[in-house]
Amino acid sequence: MKLKRFITSMLAITELELRKIRHDQSQIWMRLIQPILWLTVFGVTFSAIRVIPTGDYTYLQFLTPGILAQSVIFVAIFYGINVVWERDLGLLNKLMSTPAPRSSIVLGKSLAGGLRGILQALGILLIALVIGIDLILTPLSILGMLVIIILCGICFSSMSMALASIFRTRERMMGVGQAITMPLFFASSAIYPVSIMPDWLQVIAVANPLSYVVDALRSLLVTGDLSGLGLDVLILVASAAVLLFLASLGFKRMLV
Amino acid sequence: MTEMIDNAVKVENLEKSYRKIKAVDGISFDVPEGEVFGLLGPNGAGKTTTIRILLTLIKPTSGSARIFGMDTLQQSDKIRQISGYVPQGISVDGEITAYENMLIYSKLYGLPPANRKKRINEILEYIGLADRAKDMVKTYSGGMMRRLELAQSLINRPKILFLDEPSIGLDPNARNAMWEMVRKLRRELGSTIFLTTHDMVEADTLCDRIGIMDRGKLVVIGTPNDLKATVGGDVVTVSAKNASLSEVIEQLGYQTIGEPSNGTADLLVKNGEKAIPRIVEAFKGKGVELDSVFLKKPTLDDVFLKYTGSRIDDGAGWAQAKKTRMTYRRMAK
Repeated sequence: MKLKRFITSMLAITELELRKIRHDQSQIWMRLIQPILWLTVFGVTFSAIRVIPTGDYTYLQFLTPGILAQSVIFVAIFYGINVVWERDLGLLNKLMSTPAPRSSIVLGKSLAGGLRGILQALGILLIALVIGIDLILTPLSILGMLVIIILCGICFSSMSMALASIFRTRERMMGVGQAITMPLFFASSAIYPVSIMPDWLQVIAVANPLSYVVDALRSLLVTGDLSGLGLDVLILVASAAVLLFLASLGFKRMLV
Repeated sequence: MTEMIDNAVKVENLEKSYRKIKAVDGISFDVPEGEVFGLLGPNGAGKTTTIRILLTLIKPTSGSARIFGMDTLQQSDKIRQISGYVPQGISVDGEITAYENMLIYSKLYGLPPANRKKRINEILEYIGLADRAKDMVKTYSGGMMRRLELAQSLINRPKILFLDEPSIGLDPNARNAMWEMVRKLRRELGSTIFLTTHDMVEADTLCDRIGIMDRGKLVVIGTPNDLKATVGGDVVTVSAKNASLSEVIEQLGYQTIGEPSNGTADLLVKNGEKAIPRIVEAFKGKGVELDSVFLKKPTLDDVFLKYTGSRIDDGAGWAQAKKTRMTYRRMAK
């Protein structure tokens, strides 16, 4: 009974976020511009100069999973700003006065962050097909991709919500978001293999959940070698759990 | 066997401290079921903090609060399930429709799916927003938004409704509509209503009983009429451009509420209508020509002045709340 209530609340929060997107779809299209540029400008240029060793695959093939992951985290990492905004208005106050468990509110919001990522991922996939990037697209690989994208959205939107409870103002959260997105992105295997990084950066890349997102997406969509997928998923689920827990703890602090 | 009937609200020695400040400083009071009870006081008096403790949103530093016999620390889930809350800030989402706002909250309160649609439509009809149910909330006026917030707080048929500054930031028409709505709720649904306000007219028109709160303390509690009777007569406000006004008043032996300031003093007299000619004569006898004389029956503001020594300052809070709402609507568009 309690679990049922938890799930109902969680889904209600997710539904709220998705309904907002449905009423204003322009934000989804706008968010596709940057990844398109990464693929068509950065990707095409770096393919042409062949400086990054990507083995048997073209650089664009290598890059596509990285850009997929990037587009999800760039949105998710600013999720905390919405929470601060809702807190400032009073919406959060009202939400917390309902019997919905706090953790269900956090989980519902981050799940929405993940589902939103899916919309973007499908858009990017479509663009990748249009510019002729060769990807493995079977029902199973696409399904796997969707699961990874959701996990990625949950991880980074909870991270952002946890940070929001520490930094507490929209201005600071803008700064924090910008300060951490680039390091997260560059200290991962998104745009170059971990093996060519200096040792210290490799250490960071290994601790970076984004590396596992990219790795999982690459094995599903590019190499088809699924031997490491189990470990990637395990690490992502564990990271998501820890970050969700931190975000739930932080949520209490937001109200005091 | 005697059955104990629990009060809707029972607060004992409640205290909430933030570092150096005591937001709520040892207050105790009861609210019987079915009553409209108001906490009246200026901004920062501790009213909102009290509401938030009652709603289990924050924990008291010490003391206890019970809602229908349930402890706010131990039975928070049950208290939330039977409470409705219209916070001072904004509580409806501008980026979805009114119906959608109601729908999400019906789910958060665990309404069975079969009842949701009917209940939502009933409430929107009741509150007079049925024809705008499918419109985005950001297109609403401030008064409509407030009514929707009230509607949203009714979704779980609350036994007790908490209204934090229900008409703050509303224009006079919308304010009257809001008051009418609160009276209707009370009349037709018999809900217990707990409200906070810094608006003495609001407190006077809506509340059965009022607790006056100032700097964390509950100064006095009673029905509006009883409280006004404690002022002890009518208030005659006299003004004169004479620096010695307070001396003259002292010589004449008039009682005042508060200290005379800016050449104006509030005299406390019995039968104000009859006292005015005598007051004018008396001042003239002391060589003071009064510029104006004004009679009023005591208001809650006078009550507040009597017990706290200052008047309720209502400028900043109102303007701030209105501004927040306007900014919100602009940004949502």
